[in-house]
Formats: sequence, structure tokens, C-alpha cells
Amino acid sequence: MLVVTYSRRARETLRNACRSHEETVVRRFGRAALLRETEYGAFLACRLRERHGGDVQVERTEPFNEFADAPESVREAAAAYERRESPATPYDRFAAGTDHPESTEMRDREL
Amino acid sequence: MIRHERPAEAVDEDSPPVALHLPDGTTFEGPVIDLRGADVDPAPESIVDAVRAGEPTRPGRPTVHAPPPTRVHAHVARLGPDTDIDRRAALAAVGAARGVETAHDDDLAAARESLRSLSPPTVDAEELRAARRRAAAAGSEAERLRERVATLRGRVTALREEGDADARADAEASLSAATRDLSEASTERVAAAQRLSMLEERARRARDAREERLRLEDRVGNLERAVRHARADAVALEFHDARRRARSLLDGVPGRDAGGDAPSGLRDALAVAAIAPLGAPVVVDPGIAAAAGGLDTLETHLGGPFILR
Repeated sequence: MLVVTYSRRARETLRNACRSHEETVVRRFGRAALLRETEYGAFLACRLRERHGGDVQVERTEPFNEFADAPESVREAAAAYERRESPATPYDRFAAGTDHPESTEMRDREL
Repeated sequence: MIRHERPAEAVDEDSPPVALHLPDGTTFEGPVIDLRGADVDPAPESIVDAVRAGEPTRPGRPTVHAPPPTRVHAHVARLGPDTDIDRRAALAAVGAARGVETAHDDDLAAARESLRSLSPPTVDAEELRAARRRAAAAGSEAERLRERVATLRGRVTALREEGDADARADAEASLSAATRDLSEASTERVAAAQRLSMLEERARRARDAREERLRLEDRVGNLERAVRHARADAVALEFHDARRRARSLLDGVPGRDAGGDAPSGLRDALAVAAIAPLGAPVVVDPGIAAAAGGLDTLETHLGGPFILR
């Protein structure tokens, strides 16, 4: 679970919670933290939400499987672009005249 | 560079008149109030409290009638052998009391103003919570009904193959009722999910504003720190001069370390008090006045009102 805080007090509470519950914290990033998906992780998230309301954002995260979650055209474009010969070529110039999707198309399409 | 030289003969003009009113009705006036030998109750701490509180104080407590205390009084209102101070914080307070200007003042004022004018759109946490609860309930109800429909469908199929007509009719009636319920529950589930995602989207937009607020709060905090540093730096040279004077002033003070120096916290505090613009008095341990060689020397050093207690 990803917990992001949006006020100084909420950030402080999160920091303290992370310090006292290391076993439940997967990673800490400044004012955000990744909590383990255990009941205790949920307990901490609920407490933060209870105390700081809208200053706390809680999202469930899951691993990204590019073979299940992204279309093949996107995977192939990424792989081909990372293998490009000239590192300075921007993506859209690289994609022009090929079958690879344009960046604007990809931006507009939800997964 | 801000320097306030205080020639000895100017001390009386610089030091504002102060008065100490005790709960028993006695009053002492100064700039210098000497309570040595006076038959009075208050402990030094309660006079220090009165200095820091300014006027008015609660009934039954000593009151100090003087210009309002400055931030410096948070650090050096008491000068005694055990006095210890946070030197940087005290110097920053001296800078503030003097009105030292720093390169960060404008930025700080601007950042505070932006913070004030920012009103983050409110996310109604209760509304969002109600929507989450409704979506969760609708989801599990639809799930329950889906399972019920599947079970009933299975029973109807089985009864069609073998079974009596009445039982089959009952099962078919239950199935069609459950199917109707499921359809309603699915509609509710969709409606609840849409409402929740609409509110979540709104909350996401509101977070951009909260993000900005947090950024400004951090900026204000950093600038305040920079201002404190700059203020402390601005008076540091003068502080070191005053500290050298304090050192010779304190030759006879008890509690000296192995090198024969007076306690360094006290030396720092005396130096801070000497360079601070003191309107309200400080409360000095009589031993220090004795060590300093008398009230006049101490008055010259402090350059402001004090109470000996």
C-alpha cells in the first residue's frame, strides 16, 4: 500500500509511524511510504486517514506485468527505442515512419 | 554591521525605568533593583517568569512593569552560575530584537504571503468515506447475489431433468427473483463505483493544491532557518567581543572549570545580555554582581535594567 501525505503534520505522523513499525514498512520515501499489505499495514493506513483525513492518500499497489498490463506495440516500442543507435534521438523522431506508436497516442490511451 | 556602543555615562539614559510589584504590595523601582537584604518572598524563578510574561500577570504573582520582553528574554532572563543557553538561538534572538535585516527577509515575506493566500480546496473526507463504504457494500452484495443466482440456476437445471413440477416452479420463481435482485444490485454497484471514482478524481485534483501548500510551508521553514542564521551571524563579532569582556568581568565567580574560567554558559549569557537591546530587566544572581565588582560595573556591562535576586 502506498501512503502519501500532504501536510507537515501528516508527514510527521507518517515518519513516526515508520520509525516505530519498521516491520510493516517496505520502503520510505520522504513524505510517502510503501506499507506491507497486512492487516497491520491497513491498521496504520486507517489511523493516518482517521487523523489527517484528506491530507493522506492511500493507494493499493500491485506489480506491473508488462505482458498482461501493456499492449505488445508499447512493449516493442520501448524495447526498440532502448536499443536505438543514437542516444540523442528523441522518441517521436525515432518512431516516425515505423510501426511504433506516437507518444501522443500513447498518452491519450488508458491502459 | 550594527554596533551599539554603550558608553558608561549613557547607561542611565539608555535604561528605561522599570518597577517590580510584589504580591504583598511592595514596589521597587530601578533600572537597577537590588533585592539583596530586602525582606521579600519571591524566588528568582518567579521574578524571571514575571519578566518573560510581561504585563499583566496573574494575581498573587510578582509583576514587572517595564517595556515588553523581547525574544532574547527567552534565553537570558536569568543570569546565574548554572545559566546555560543555546548560543546560536540566543544570537538569532538578539538579531531579531535589533531588527537586523537579512537577504532572505523579502523572500520569507513573499512565501508567507503566498501561503496565506492559498486556500486548498477541501476534500470532504466524510463524503469520500461514505462513498467508499457504499461501493464496498454494493460490491459484496452483488457478489453474494451472483453466487445465489448461480446456485439457483444449477438447481433449476437439475430439477428440469428429474423432479416434480411444484419444486421446479418454486426454484424457477426463486431464480427469477434473485436475478431481478442481482440486476438491481449491479446497477447500484456501478452507480456507487462511479460516484467513488468521481470523488477520488476530485480529491486527486485537490491534492495538487495541498502539494503546493506543503511546498510553501517547507519553503517558509527553510527561509526562517536562513534568517535565524543570518541574524546570528550579524551579531556574532560583537558577541565575541562582549564575551571577552564577560570573561574578565567574571573572574571571581564560583563554579569555574579547571582552567580557571567561569562557566561558559554564563559567559555566553552575559555576553548576549550585553549586546541585546534590553527594555525589560534581566534577573541576576547576587554572586555575579559581587564577582563583577559591584553594581556599576555590571550595569555598564549589561547596558540595561536588571534585578538582583
